[in-house]
Amino acid sequence: MNVLITGASGGLGRAFAAECGRRGYNLFLVDINAQGLAALKSGLERRFSVCVATMTCDLTGEASVDALLAHIDRCRIRFDMLLNVAGVDYEGGFLERKRDDIVRIVSLNNEATLRITHAVLSRRDERRRFSLVFVSSLASLYPMPLKATYAASKRFLLDLAVALGHELRDKNVRVLALCPGGMVTTRQAMQGIAAQGFWGAVTTNPLETVAKRTIEGVLHGKHVYIPGFFNRTLSFIGTLLPRSWVAAAIYRRWGKAQKQWLAKETAHGETAA
Amino acid sequence: MDTIVITGATSGIGLASALELARNNFNIIGIGRDPKRCESAKDTIQSSRTSARVTFFAADLMQQREVNRVCDEISKYIEQNCEGKLFSLINNAGCARSWYMTTEEGYEQLFALNHLAGFLVTYRLLPYLISASGRVIMTGSESHKHMRIRWDDVMFQNGYHPLLAYKQSKLCNLLFAKALNDRYGWRGLHAYAVDPGLVHTEIGCKNTGGIVSFVWNNRKRHGVSPDVPAKTYAYLCAQQPAPKGLYFHLCKPRRYSAQVEWKNAERLFRLSETLCGIRYDERMSGI
Repeated sequence: MNVLITGASGGLGRAFAAECGRRGYNLFLVDINAQGLAALKSGLERRFSVCVATMTCDLTGEASVDALLAHIDRCRIRFDMLLNVAGVDYEGGFLERKRDDIVRIVSLNNEATLRITHAVLSRRDERRRFSLVFVSSLASLYPMPLKATYAASKRFLLDLAVALGHELRDKNVRVLALCPGGMVTTRQAMQGIAAQGFWGAVTTNPLETVAKRTIEGVLHGKHVYIPGFFNRTLSFIGTLLPRSWVAAAIYRRWGKAQKQWLAKETAHGETAA
Repeated sequence: MDTIVITGATSGIGLASALELARNNFNIIGIGRDPKRCESAKDTIQSSRTSARVTFFAADLMQQREVNRVCDEISKYIEQNCEGKLFSLINNAGCARSWYMTTEEGYEQLFALNHLAGFLVTYRLLPYLISASGRVIMTGSESHKHMRIRWDDVMFQNGYHPLLAYKQSKLCNLLFAKALNDRYGWRGLHAYAVDPGLVHTEIGCKNTGGIVSFVWNNRKRHGVSPDVPAKTYAYLCAQQPAPKGLYFHLCKPRRYSAQVEWKNAERLFRLSETLCGIRYDERMSGI
């Protein structure tokens, strides 16, 4: 089994890589962070003695992706699985963010994902089953004020995954959209979730379990995976209500949370200074 | 004056031990994650009216790249200022985690910091420790009891359990100390693990959430001051000849788990070598 993972050196990418390594899959890891890739490669090789190849690549750049594909073609690699993990979000409301940042959300989360997915799918071995995973988000299920662009970009991936799943079923391709809630991927995420207290703890999905069940899910032909009972219930209730009601409720809750968070941040800043 | 390296020396047990050892006329090399906190810890120790030389290095020991970088710096320092001799190494840095998180290598963070970091630092500083017939001390815990190493899943990928992960890492500390004694005792090296008891420190509250931080906040109120275990570290460093025993509490040897035996110790040692990409034997062949 040959697996390509984009955004491999981030928190979720590393969890996926470790899960694949444990299953004995060969890995091709892509990320923009060269140092992180090198460390992850050595870690996986030491632990699982699997074959690991890496390549630094900015997926938003046409030339950079062409170089990646040329390298794949030179090595004559055929993939059996693609995990689209690479993605980005920036903090702040729509008008508080820089224009370039807003656009970058779509160019990485959507444009770059399409580019690599099309390229890798057309390089698959058609006689074998192919597994395709898009990392969407719980945010994809509703319109989300204060995270509008991000949520919309994740909605794009969710719809794409479900549609492609049906379109490519005869071609022996299984597609899964992963819609996780908060995950503890970085020190900042950990601080954020710890600060949220009880609600942070119940909506947080354990990284190792998400990685394991996602791989199991796509191998068993599952279409959408929302980890966690609480999140599944929440998303089900959300589908029963009008979308604009949900958006308004989210805005109230997040607006408050953000104010508290900002107040805390500034207080911390003052004590540190 | 003899020199001692202490990891995690900016707060809690590490800082208290550094203060105690500086009072006992040891030179201190501290390692901490945050440069600012390193500075303030250095000031705290120096302002305690000691003639000891105090140096701090900042590094996030969870990441092996950082361990190797800081050990390069410390090795240079020891060769220039301490005649290539290190009297003692205290592998104290540790953390608690509520969730499964990974390092750059994709290793589980608690295992990487509480065990592998100490394993790699010891490897890097071993020649200096051997030439001083030195001592290596781990911060263990009573929680190492009633626990076995999960050989098929040491990093808890099958489902994370904060308490078991912590217990296992402390068992690793004892096994590592045992393996060091078995392998290098004849070269004059002594390795120990200290049971600090229940101590009032922040280890369980640093960025943990939910149950872990709740339980820790309750437990630590009953804990003793870190000055109490600091005395045991000072005892193990200052006593001549070196005390006999492996596991110490309040300056006395204590019984430890039956899991701490040479077969497990050797197995963990080999696994850790693989995970760090090193061979202790190669390091020793040059000395």
